[in-house]
Amino acid sequence: MSDRKLPRLLQSPAVLLLLVWMLIPLGMTLYFSFIRYVLNSLRRPEWTSPSLSNWRGFGNYEFVLNSKDFLFAIQNSLFIVCSILFLTVILGVLIAVLINKSFPGQGIVRVLLISPFFVMPAVNAVLWINMILDPVLGLQGIAVANLNDLAAALRDAPVIGWFFALWPQLEPISFRATQTSAYAVIIMVTWQWTPFAVLIFMTSLQSEDQQQKEAAVLDGASSWSQFRFLTLPHLGRPIAIVVMIQAIFHLSLYAEIEIVSRGNGNKNLPYLIGEFANNNIGAASATGIFAVILANIVAIFLLRMVGKTLME
Amino acid sequence: MAIVAKPSKLGTFGRPVLAWTVGLLFFFPIFWMVLTSFKTDADAVKPEHLIFFQPTLENYLNMTENYDYWRFARNSVITAVMATLFTLFVGIPCAYAMAFNPSRATKDVLMWMLSTKMLPAAAVLYPMTFLTKSAGLFDTHFLIILVLSLINLPIVVWMLFTYFKEIPKDIIEAGKMDGVNTWGEIREILIPLAWGGIAATALLCFIFCWNEAYWTVRLTTTNAATLSKLIEGNRAPEGLFFGRLSAVSAAAVGPIVVLGWFCQKQLVQGLTFGAVK
Repeated sequence: MSDRKLPRLLQSPAVLLLLVWMLIPLGMTLYFSFIRYVLNSLRRPEWTSPSLSNWRGFGNYEFVLNSKDFLFAIQNSLFIVCSILFLTVILGVLIAVLINKSFPGQGIVRVLLISPFFVMPAVNAVLWINMILDPVLGLQGIAVANLNDLAAALRDAPVIGWFFALWPQLEPISFRATQTSAYAVIIMVTWQWTPFAVLIFMTSLQSEDQQQKEAAVLDGASSWSQFRFLTLPHLGRPIAIVVMIQAIFHLSLYAEIEIVSRGNGNKNLPYLIGEFANNNIGAASATGIFAVILANIVAIFLLRMVGKTLME
Repeated sequence: MAIVAKPSKLGTFGRPVLAWTVGLLFFFPIFWMVLTSFKTDADAVKPEHLIFFQPTLENYLNMTENYDYWRFARNSVITAVMATLFTLFVGIPCAYAMAFNPSRATKDVLMWMLSTKMLPAAAVLYPMTFLTKSAGLFDTHFLIILVLSLINLPIVVWMLFTYFKEIPKDIIEAGKMDGVNTWGEIREILIPLAWGGIAATALLCFIFCWNEAYWTVRLTTTNAATLSKLIEGNRAPEGLFFGRLSAVSAAAVGPIVVLGWFCQKQLVQGLTFGAVK
């Protein structure tokens, strides 16, 4: 066998598998998005199986664009993803700078910190929404109740009592409403992915130019300006990569939304597709194509940003 | 102004205290889950038993009865192990060819592979359900193994590629001169040399397979259902079963979190595709 053929042969199983995995389902989604296709229809039984004679053109797309849910789902997807990105990057940089210098127990703190990243998403969601955020039985509810009791008890105390009498009765927050459950999702995913950002930023900080830093210290640069003009620029590329990888993962966030907000209106694009797919396959497919377009816009934009550095 | 590198009080005492606080805070939910798993269901929702309670193993002992835990765990192990092996089987030759015989297209192929990760899974949900149901593969181990392999293949190829690139080409060339064929090269030279990298890749792939929560939930019902599906199916106990739910959750994530501790360094390389070193 010639030298050129063999490498190709070795690569072909991986390439072919991925090609099939990508093209066939995507092709079918594209096809279904242009026909009328519903799973249950007593009135029009011919729509219940996919066929070219049910051609609908851009009708499904129009239907999806006109549905209130779609716009909300896009806004909500972007809101959730952007909030998570913002929080994880800020927290990630701060924590990475904090634990980068050696201190007693650095290794243990590192292990403690990274642990949330390995928790499966379903457990993450169940744990947070029930045992921590629940307004009555979760830690949140218990903490709020205790604070109220404490304030009530201190109200009758001499000297300081007037101060506590001014305190309002605290109300626990229910994280199962539409808007608040989006916050719950943001909290739990931020908890899971901040460790990932910390890990990457820490790795990058270890390759920071120490001589430059020492020079800055000798020149009397404050810690803040060291951070601002040396560390932060150094973290530029890792931040871009963290943003890219997380954007890919979080645009298709599913398990957390499913568990936290089943049916309460807090939906993102994948969840909306799942809802449509219970009956209206045409609409589900059109929404899927929109999701692909959205993901591509984000991906092209981000790959431009980091693509070159990947191959070095 | 010029105070030269004199460690401040905050530096010597504040940093460790703050760092430990942050670390414990992040670990706290996991700790809380494990703690709750040793409470009875009744104690788990009583504020007076928040910290002080009579620990019990009952939740772990009844896991089979309550949730049929071992069936789901067995499915998770089978699918994750098989998917990891299959991914390596396909990925190693591919990464080998890319690292040692790169062509002009190699870079593009690698980027294209990465781009398949960006395809939102939900977009192809129905066709996948349709295809697998009509092929009789829905809810089978085979299907889950295949899907888990395919979604992790890009990451595995990238990771292996970054490890193989570090191996001097001369060593492989020397093997060629000795008349070893390609499989021999891979088996007798490449795999022993890159053993650490391959093991790390396998470990990470296994973790991702274990934690996958979209396809394993949507493409199974009972037969091939994994632990993700088990937890997802018991999502809303409304305070009824905090104890037993914590136990089964802890049993689902415990082994993986511990495995994760061992491969945190590789995680950086794997998920940033070698761009952060």
